[in-house]
Amino acid sequence: MTTLTDRYVWAAVRTVPEPQRSGLEPEIRELIEESVRARIDAGDPVPAAESRALTELGDPERLAAAYVDRPLTLIGPRYYLDWWRLLRTVALIVVPISTAAVLVAQLLVSNDLGGAIAGAVSTALGVTVHLAFWITLVFVIIERTGTPGPGAAWSPDALPDVPDLSRRSRLPDLIASLVFLVLLAGVLLWQQFVPGVRDAAGGAVPVLDPKLWSFWIPWFLGLLAAEAVFAVVVYLRGWSWSLAVMNLGLNLAFAVPAVVLWIDGRLLNPGFPAAVGWDQGAPEAGGVIGAGIVATVLVIVTWDVVDGFLNARRASGAPVRRPALHNR
Amino acid sequence: MADDDDLIAGHLQELRRGTVVLACLTRLRIPDYGYALLEALDALGIQVDANTLYPLLRRLEKQGLLTSEWNTAESRPRKFYRTSPTGDALAATLSADWDRLTASLHRISEGELP
Repeated sequence: MTTLTDRYVWAAVRTVPEPQRSGLEPEIRELIEESVRARIDAGDPVPAAESRALTELGDPERLAAAYVDRPLTLIGPRYYLDWWRLLRTVALIVVPISTAAVLVAQLLVSNDLGGAIAGAVSTALGVTVHLAFWITLVFVIIERTGTPGPGAAWSPDALPDVPDLSRRSRLPDLIASLVFLVLLAGVLLWQQFVPGVRDAAGGAVPVLDPKLWSFWIPWFLGLLAAEAVFAVVVYLRGWSWSLAVMNLGLNLAFAVPAVVLWIDGRLLNPGFPAAVGWDQGAPEAGGVIGAGIVATVLVIVTWDVVDGFLNARRASGAPVRRPALHNR
Repeated sequence: MADDDDLIAGHLQELRRGTVVLACLTRLRIPDYGYALLEALDALGIQVDANTLYPLLRRLEKQGLLTSEWNTAESRPRKFYRTSPTGDALAATLSADWDRLTASLHRISEGELP
């Protein structure tokens, strides 16, 4: 018996469970010997015949897997779709919630925006990796131990609704956007002209720093007007990739100055905390309010941008081959 | 061009996949060992790789369609397979279906409409 054959046989049988090895070894040995004999009969030189025959038989582990019906896929077609759906569903629920929770909690504790974002990003990555690993591990075990048969039963009840891309379906979004924008603009103006808080002398105390009227409050009001125009355009033309990018730009134009102003301490009227009775010596109170506002802005902005891209994808994924979508 | 060859090879492989089982069950009514079966099939134009055929024979044995016996009388031990009565019945069923499909395909190619 030559070494090459012995090594091949060992490489094959060591990958199958112990009890099956004694049955498998003579079969693989016979297979190799007969393949070598056939090559020698066909005129191959003796030393090369063994090597060539083994090359032809291929990876010993693959051969052994064929003998014992071991799957050579991590998750086969039977469970792939169940795995993919579960992973997607759980990730879409758990990752945003845990990320937002970490972001808000860190902002409340530290007031350090960069650190909070870094913590949220590392949480998102860690949670995603953990979810993917553990869910996949469970399915790999099911794949190898599960009873044969079809995976989860499917019925037509599970069919998704065809997305309604008609203009009429976008009307509620338009109304909600316009109402929200008008309310926001109203709040910006109201806090200046009809303040609910007055100082000791009876004068009005706005929430936002009045110095912002030189540029930033008009900027935000202008952005709100632009957002309103944008909402009408989306209503008329439907979502597209370019509109989603424009949405991203509008949101950045709003969020970046707001966050920067808050970090620089230029957002709130310096007289406001005193006027509402917050202890001047306890900056945490103002900090907590500010952090809450900034976290809320970030969550809303992120959601709005993501929603824009999701809508764009949904709209672009509605090809001509689906006549149900032609009723625009 | 190479893509075309791959395409054709892939479809041929699909078409031939089940026929190896039928050929084995039919041919092993006379007991034989793996490599002799492979050479016999090859001579008849039914090509199958050794690393496919050997595991297949073992699987068919596990399913009760073949029985086996080690022949140690000669210089090297060889595992001889033989079609079991169950395997024989399956071969008859598969063979009848093969004939039916052949007839159907001929009728289609001759332009017969249902």
